[in-house]
Amino acid sequence: MNTRSLLLLALLLPAALTATAQSRRPQVDLKCEAHGMGPLLDCTVRLRGADGQPLPGAGVTLGATMPSMPMAHTVKPVKALPTAVPGEYRGQLTLEMSGAWAIEIDLTGPVRERVVRVLMAEECDGDGRCPAPPARR
Amino acid sequence: MPLEQAVGLATDIAILSLLALSAYLVLLVGRISFGQQAYFALGAYASGMASTLAGWALAPSLLLGAAVGAVASGLLAWPTLRLSGLNYAVATLALAEMMRIALMRLHFIREVDGYTVGPQGAEGFRDIRWLLENDVSPGAFLLLCLAVLAAALLVLAWLRPRRLGLALRQVGHDEVLAASQGLPVLRLQLLAVAAAGALAALGGGLYAHRATYIEPALFDPMLGVHAVGYALIGGLGTALGPLLGVMFDIGLLEATKVFAGWRMVVFGGLVALFLRFRPRGLLDEATVHRIGAAWRHFRRTS
Repeated sequence: MNTRSLLLLALLLPAALTATAQSRRPQVDLKCEAHGMGPLLDCTVRLRGADGQPLPGAGVTLGATMPSMPMAHTVKPVKALPTAVPGEYRGQLTLEMSGAWAIEIDLTGPVRERVVRVLMAEECDGDGRCPAPPARR
Repeated sequence: MPLEQAVGLATDIAILSLLALSAYLVLLVGRISFGQQAYFALGAYASGMASTLAGWALAPSLLLGAAVGAVASGLLAWPTLRLSGLNYAVATLALAEMMRIALMRLHFIREVDGYTVGPQGAEGFRDIRWLLENDVSPGAFLLLCLAVLAAALLVLAWLRPRRLGLALRQVGHDEVLAASQGLPVLRLQLLAVAAAGALAALGGGLYAHRATYIEPALFDPMLGVHAVGYALIGGLGTALGPLLGVMFDIGLLEATKVFAGWRMVVFGGLVALFLRFRPRGLLDEATVHRIGAAWRHFRRTS
């Protein structure tokens, strides 16, 4: 392959990689509660299709990373398991400290999607549970 | 470790290696920059905006991000490289923080295919979905990141014994001596710093597309300090040093997970202890020289 062919290929490559038509995205709701030492974060994910109907049968993985140290300060991803409610999945993350955490929700199966929500997770007093609200930016 | 997690970790290592290489390039010409995270951020925002708002494909979006990083880095280096060593390091940190705060003010929202997307200041920039839209698997994206990293390493390895590579190292060893030998010190440093900006921005572009979400808080000084740390831990003997530094750092972070809340304390202590015994990193110049000599001996005798 000569230089001209390589140049032509380099020029055509972006066109070949141009984005395809956008699919309709699922609606993803995330609610988390912190409790215990760490804290532990119990998360409930509710999925609905673009038509508003619950979306069962998806593979849901939850991960978390601290925005202050991207890629380095992460916790082990966990699978969120389906509950009796259609389109609802639950998983527990073990965080290492209180603070703002970016919760990464990866969907596979009927839809492939990644949604990130930044939550403030604090250790609760005693044995209580407290909601992890969206982090104030 | 599950395969998915291993692929994710390897992708992170490849992306962080580009940031580490950018810090290494600046160290190579005798300067320390604590501000490479700013070009990482610029690359992330520029390439994310190109693919999400303008509908560009991934390759030109990444190239645009790299170009923005190189130009910004070069322009900011023009006045700051005239500062002495420590002042330059502080200036890079200050400029990076200025840039991060500026990104907190950046609002550029557009409606694309019925969805509102674009940077929303401190709220961040969501839905950088090129990989999802084009069904690029995590494994394929890892290969892309590794290819970009390999290309960068090959260019640096090719450059090393050549006139330009030797001149850059000479400037890094002793600026005054290099100038007295007729080397254009400022121009060489500008070139290295601009190339470092491009490398960091390329890493940022890849990161934005992998994460799908970026925000100014991601690009705080810790990222820049770690970038310098990767290069110093890995050693400045070859371009493979920063790569080793990232693997050491991420490996240690993973290994210290058992310490839970004390993890960062243990991690920091171990890094300090390591640098006490290997102050010039894993692959310092002397080690590289010894490995080279052993290799030549092996080839002669076999």
